Amino acid sequence: MQLSNDQVIIFLISISVMLFSAKMLGEIFTKFKQPAIIGEILAGVILGPTILGMLSPGTFEFLFPKNSEINVAMDGITNIAVVLLLLVSGLEVDLSVVFRHRKKALSISIIGIIIPFLLGFGIAYLFPGLLGLIESQDRLVFALFIGTAIAISSLPVIAKILMDLKIFKSEIGSIIIASAMLNDLIGWIIFSVILGMIGANTNGFSFSETLIYTLSFIAFLLIAGRKIINKLISIIQVKLTFPGSVINFILILGFLGAAFTEYLGVHAILGAFMVGIAIGDSIHLKERTREILHQFITNIFAPLFFVSIGMKANFITNFNVGIVIVLLALAFIGKIAGCSIGARLGGMKKNESLAVGAGMSSSGAMGIIIGLIALQFGLINEEVFVGLVIMALFTSISSAPLMSYFLKERDKTKFRNLLQERFVFFTNESGKEKIISRLVEVASKELKLEKEVILREVMSREKNLPTGIANYLALPHAKIKIKDPFIGIAINKRGVNFDAADGLPCKIIILLLTPENNNEIQLQLLSEIAAKFRSKEQVEKLLALLNARELCAELKKLE
Amino acid sequence: MFSKIGLAISFSPTGKALVKESLRLQQLFNSRLALIHIGERNSESEELLFKTIDEAGADRNNLEIIWGEGDPATAIINAGKEAGIDLLVAGALEKEKMLKFYFGSVARKIMREFPASSLILKSPSLEPIPFKKFFITADYSSRCEKTICAAFQFALKENAEEFTIIRDFYMPGLTAAIGENNTYDELSSLIDQMKYEEEEKMKLFINELNLKGLEIKIVCVYGKEGWEDSNYARTNSADIFAVTGPEHKMRFLDRFFQHDIEYSFEKLPSNLLIVR
Repeated sequence: MQLSNDQVIIFLISISVMLFSAKMLGEIFTKFKQPAIIGEILAGVILGPTILGMLSPGTFEFLFPKNSEINVAMDGITNIAVVLLLLVSGLEVDLSVVFRHRKKALSISIIGIIIPFLLGFGIAYLFPGLLGLIESQDRLVFALFIGTAIAISSLPVIAKILMDLKIFKSEIGSIIIASAMLNDLIGWIIFSVILGMIGANTNGFSFSETLIYTLSFIAFLLIAGRKIINKLISIIQVKLTFPGSVINFILILGFLGAAFTEYLGVHAILGAFMVGIAIGDSIHLKERTREILHQFITNIFAPLFFVSIGMKANFITNFNVGIVIVLLALAFIGKIAGCSIGARLGGMKKNESLAVGAGMSSSGAMGIIIGLIALQFGLINEEVFVGLVIMALFTSISSAPLMSYFLKERDKTKFRNLLQERFVFFTNESGKEKIISRLVEVASKELKLEKEVILREVMSREKNLPTGIANYLALPHAKIKIKDPFIGIAINKRGVNFDAADGLPCKIIILLLTPENNNEIQLQLLSEIAAKFRSKEQVEKLLALLNARELCAELKKLE
Repeated sequence: MFSKIGLAISFSPTGKALVKESLRLQQLFNSRLALIHIGERNSESEELLFKTIDEAGADRNNLEIIWGEGDPATAIINAGKEAGIDLLVAGALEKEKMLKFYFGSVARKIMREFPASSLILKSPSLEPIPFKKFFITADYSSRCEKTICAAFQFALKENAEEFTIIRDFYMPGLTAAIGENNTYDELSSLIDQMKYEEEEKMKLFINELNLKGLEIKIVCVYGKEGWEDSNYARTNSADIFAVTGPEHKMRFLDRFFQHDIEYSFEKLPSNLLIVR
């Protein structure tokens, strides 16, 4: 079979149209701080049977002819795209981070898989009609698949949310990332086992053989494979051209791994993902190589793949409100509850646990990939596929605001949340000891601690190193036996000497008390406050204010 | 600072050099010195040990000799604990052979399990000289405060020329998070911005410790935590790389899925000071 000259032209035009539309709509959604994937799938919906196919069937048939060699070529590209997507997804998995947070990550990911899986499995098995099961289909496999689709999380979406919420570097951010990585790993293995169960392979392996070979392959990659790959990358980087040869090496390994698991009958994605993990673990893999691969895949193959998703089905005729509601309910209840319970059992606080649950609820591209494979294998019909795509998109959009709500509203480590009018006063007292003493008095009443105890700690710190910063700011501070930090502010418009670095008298004196044995909170608040007072002009504007309410309001606005 | 130094000694070619290094440290810290030898005690082994001590120029009457039997690593750890050693000195290869690393060598077991501080020397010298370049890996924990302060006092005593605090951090998933809409330059500048923030935070942290008498340099590196700091110390020819001892017992799986300090245990970047 060979493409004719005309078919080559149409094939190239259709790819250009897909790439162009995906990029345009992806960019628009990015501008509105939404995942580009939504725009890319929407581009597929517009170009596919849903819109173009309805409005102009001729153009649709011309660009994307069914039952032709062009279709086969396009299928090849989407297969490569999905393999590459899983390869880069695996590259992002960092086993050392997973291992560092193993207790919490295991608890969150395992319970975060078990609960939504059981919920999805139970509903699909007991009420298959709700999710459009066709009578001829295997109810058990269908239910297992629905359970997995509900349980999977999307690492890239989660990482992006953590980045936007500025908690990527924090302890909670690191735990969520580690849990998402583990969730992906376990989720893909379960999914592959299900594919093995339905006997998808054509190479004559029994289910137990497929299972043994697959687990051996995973074990080999995680035990010896990653060590060998690490060594090879270091040699290639030194001996051959960089970064071209390393990228080439990664793609070769990715395709070979994918081919092997496809041969085993557990789908190419598992091989690509596992090889990605083994490569990503290398200490020699440079950030630049990762970035180039990401650019190459997320700007070319990912848009093509997601456009093709939007074109797979008619999203209007196959839109089944009942199925969408059931899937959304399962995803939200199962995932948020599962991961939150896991986080709680892992020893995290209540609001942090809920935030973890909200963050992990996004199924994103991974949920869509599972949906596509299930559709290809005839495990689900187009209505369920559409429902899964909507579920994946909806959870990707909703998880950020939900997480933000759980974290920010109750976050007592942020300056703005600690700032209270009743702890702010104006004073004409001269001498830093007197001002500190008054601030400590306010703190002592609020914290119900002896004034002398607090004062001793604050003054001892002050004697070691004066706390005058610059731009009229002084930051006396201490770590004491308290649960949450305390901030009190004294304004002295004449200024007091705190030995500030710029030699100016200090007019805004902020007392910061933080829990002992938690340096991180103290440093976070100290640097946050110091950053707010970087501009002298801004501080002078603050000093012109006449009451505590105005001052608090303006301080909260400062970046 | 260290009131009793222990030396884990065997009849290896580096034995004499290790005794000389320990003697220098004993004088530096004005501490007591105990030699721990694991093996059968008989006239032959006694003679061999005394010969090593004498050749190193140590006064046998001015040190304690502890004999032990059994598994060398476990016996050294137990003897060190019983003798109240607060700095255990031991020699180690820069890198063990793979199987030995995974299934345990004496030095690696001491690094992982000795409950007090330890100093692992990768190439002890017959003519020991002071350590001049100190590199310390740091986070913001209270345990790390202790490490920095101990290394700082050590560096002061040695009249060190360089005292560098390394803060390494990594954000797995970062490339995926910003991948599709950012260029490599934007990614680099984002990492630079984060390095700057970490550096500022570390400055505040160090300020709180009120360390005086040596200039402190702070460096932030981005990459796999534990590997990047160790690699930085190695490429900058550190004399001492100080780390905070692991909080929990390091097990086989920690070696297998390496993280943090295990990278330094696998391949010593320089002499390794483990503070506990």
